[in-house]
Amino acid sequence: MTENSLDKEQQIVNHLVGTFQNLTGKVKRNRRIEVSIEKKQITSVLNYVKDHLGFIHFSHMSCVDWLEDGYFELVYILWSPEQKIQLLVKALVDRENASVENADMIWRQLNTYQREIREMFGVNFIGMKGDKEFILEDWDNMPPMRRDFNTVDYIQEVYFERPGREDAQNVRETISKRTGEEIPEVATKYSRD
Amino acid sequence: MAFFDIKGLVTPFTALKQFGKAPHTVTFPYHKKETAQRYRGLHFNDLEVCIGCGNCSTICMNEAIDMVNLEQIEGKAGDSGLRPRVDNGRCCWCALCVEVCPTGSLNLTKDYIYVTPDADSFLWTPGVSNPEGKDNISFHSDVDTSLSMFDRVPMPELDGKERVKSFAETMLYYTEEAAREEASRCISCSLCTEVCPDHMHIPEYINAIAKGEDDDAIRIIYDNNPLGEMCGKVCTRRCEDVCALQVRGDAVAIRWLKEYAVGRAETAEMLKEIVNPDIQEPNGKKVGIVGAGPSGLTTAYYLALKGFDVTIYEANEYAGGMVMYGIPKYRLPMDSLNKQIDYMKSIGVKIKFNTKVGKDITFDEIYKEHDAVFVGIGFQKPYSIGIKGEDAQGAFPAVNLLFDVNSGKTPDMGNKVVVIGGGNVAIDGARVSRRLGAEVVIMYRRRVQDMPADWEEIEGAEHEGVEIMPQTIPVEIITDDNNKVKAIKYLKAEMVADDKGGRPRPVPIEGSETIMEVSSVIGAIGQEADYSFLPEEYRNSIEINRGRMVVNEQMQTANPKIFAGGDAVNRTADAISAIADGYRAVKAIEKFLMN
Repeated sequence: MTENSLDKEQQIVNHLVGTFQNLTGKVKRNRRIEVSIEKKQITSVLNYVKDHLGFIHFSHMSCVDWLEDGYFELVYILWSPEQKIQLLVKALVDRENASVENADMIWRQLNTYQREIREMFGVNFIGMKGDKEFILEDWDNMPPMRRDFNTVDYIQEVYFERPGREDAQNVRETISKRTGEEIPEVATKYSRD
Repeated sequence: MAFFDIKGLVTPFTALKQFGKAPHTVTFPYHKKETAQRYRGLHFNDLEVCIGCGNCSTICMNEAIDMVNLEQIEGKAGDSGLRPRVDNGRCCWCALCVEVCPTGSLNLTKDYIYVTPDADSFLWTPGVSNPEGKDNISFHSDVDTSLSMFDRVPMPELDGKERVKSFAETMLYYTEEAAREEASRCISCSLCTEVCPDHMHIPEYINAIAKGEDDDAIRIIYDNNPLGEMCGKVCTRRCEDVCALQVRGDAVAIRWLKEYAVGRAETAEMLKEIVNPDIQEPNGKKVGIVGAGPSGLTTAYYLALKGFDVTIYEANEYAGGMVMYGIPKYRLPMDSLNKQIDYMKSIGVKIKFNTKVGKDITFDEIYKEHDAVFVGIGFQKPYSIGIKGEDAQGAFPAVNLLFDVNSGKTPDMGNKVVVIGGGNVAIDGARVSRRLGAEVVIMYRRRVQDMPADWEEIEGAEHEGVEIMPQTIPVEIITDDNNKVKAIKYLKAEMVADDKGGRPRPVPIEGSETIMEVSSVIGAIGQEADYSFLPEEYRNSIEINRGRMVVNEQMQTANPKIFAGGDAVNRTADAISAIADGYRAVKAIEKFLMN
């Protein structure tokens, strides 16, 4: 068997494309496949690849915030120990009132990941059980992993400035002072903070 | 419990089943397990490599990083002198600071255990607090994966074979899209502003371009440089030498971006509309300026804005000085220069053309008629090459060739030209000669890497088919019976290390004498100022040292009414230094006349 042959991977992609409507997929590289599905297909695709294609191991789940496009992208990372192939299942979810079906009956571990994503991105998993709080305590702000969450504002509001940091210098000021450069008003709004 | 417990008696013997098996052991002495390869532990900063750009401090979302002065670090060109200090109480080890560090000096180490009874020591300076961290680096950035954008957006240019056919501009310049992309690479550290002689507000106008605010970019450029487009095309751009990105990648194309911004205003009227300067009421003071070069024009522009009555006396038909007559049109087209000068005229700068001071008008007249005088005469007079046959027909200085060509003449160069020198003027002379149809050879005493010319110019010349002969010393121009250039005799040289620690010297190789047939010889080994316009009494009232006028920090000569700037004053002798001189003189003249 040749090392670089991607036949096995391509076969899985073809199989999935033939099985599910609106599923697109490609072989990313040796031992890595990526498929994109609609959000309503999540549980059926996950169940199918687990039961029929050997992707019995759930490795990880994450979420990407496509702020400009108005989507969250959920990524389920699965592994087939038998074929030694990694499968990434991706689904886009509207950013507004983001909600998606719970899938923790397929892998119990998913519960933990879904709880984290719920807390950090504000994606609602319909039918999921588990404490609302995951890591954050008494959080009443926007979910902090969303890209429009302003970390610096939050930090400034919540944490006090410790003593001993008063001697901090601004690079721009240090240099303009050294050279005697006078920065006009029209320019200062473009200076680095 | 039974008195005789059989289970308690037998159980210990079950250990015997392990007998004969390989023992499980740990190595001695005990080795701690290594942390993961990309482990994100405590910071380490290589203080020598760090340039104090402050990018780490800016990116930190926890505001955990301060830039602070350290005793052992002095600020210098290309180094703010500041170094990061981390508040480990706030750090979350996201390592973004490492990802964006342009020099790669900031790293995270494998150390993560830090126990101390003194809570204040969590505020620590990487590299100072843990000098041993250098040997323990784990998370680091490399050029391929770093979040800094190290590759410059390529500048489109005409092909070398196309270029030599005409004097069309060789650079095609950035489109809007390319300019925005290139501008967004800038990390706004402002190290460049220190080495710019004029201290232009570089990060600000580049940021304005990145944000799509070209008009603001023009306004920021015009704050202290009224020849932004000219600089955008031909500046010696020392700023790019110290760009933070240049340490591991390509410097931001500061020069081309300036060209892009000012180039958006296509006419003098558009420039005026965009810059929309605040022109003050006339204050009744008159300033005379000798020479319409970059320093004179800058002085005139800003003085006119401040309400002074400004007149420039220019010997030639057009303004710009060396920029007009010394820079070939394929680098700086006349339209571009005239646009910038027309705009200056529109805000009240008066220029008397074809008025040579000392011939058409005396310096004395100018001196008496004005409340202050600025002298920006530049280096017009070429040095002679100093070899036999220099006065032959067909041997002349490069500045004269450039002057003639820029005035619209097409001198006959014959079919083979040799240019002597290694500076930008030599390259200009060579490339112009190529465009006049000649084969061109540049003879330079030292090695190519020693040439003071801009590397882009050297490359440009090579692409156009100019041959560079390094380590070549011309010794004689051979003429025919009509005293016309026929050939050049030269020696090859070898480089000998200088005992005094200077740069290696070229020493002629005996017996390497060669004769090459040529039709023209162009000398380009430097220029000097011509003070013949200055009457004796004035020459004595100001100080002239080794051909340069001596001025104080305010560009004022020993005669308080006379100010001076440009090539004839500063050591760097480039356009941006002349502009900087002019800008400084404005402040001084204002102080001198208004207080």
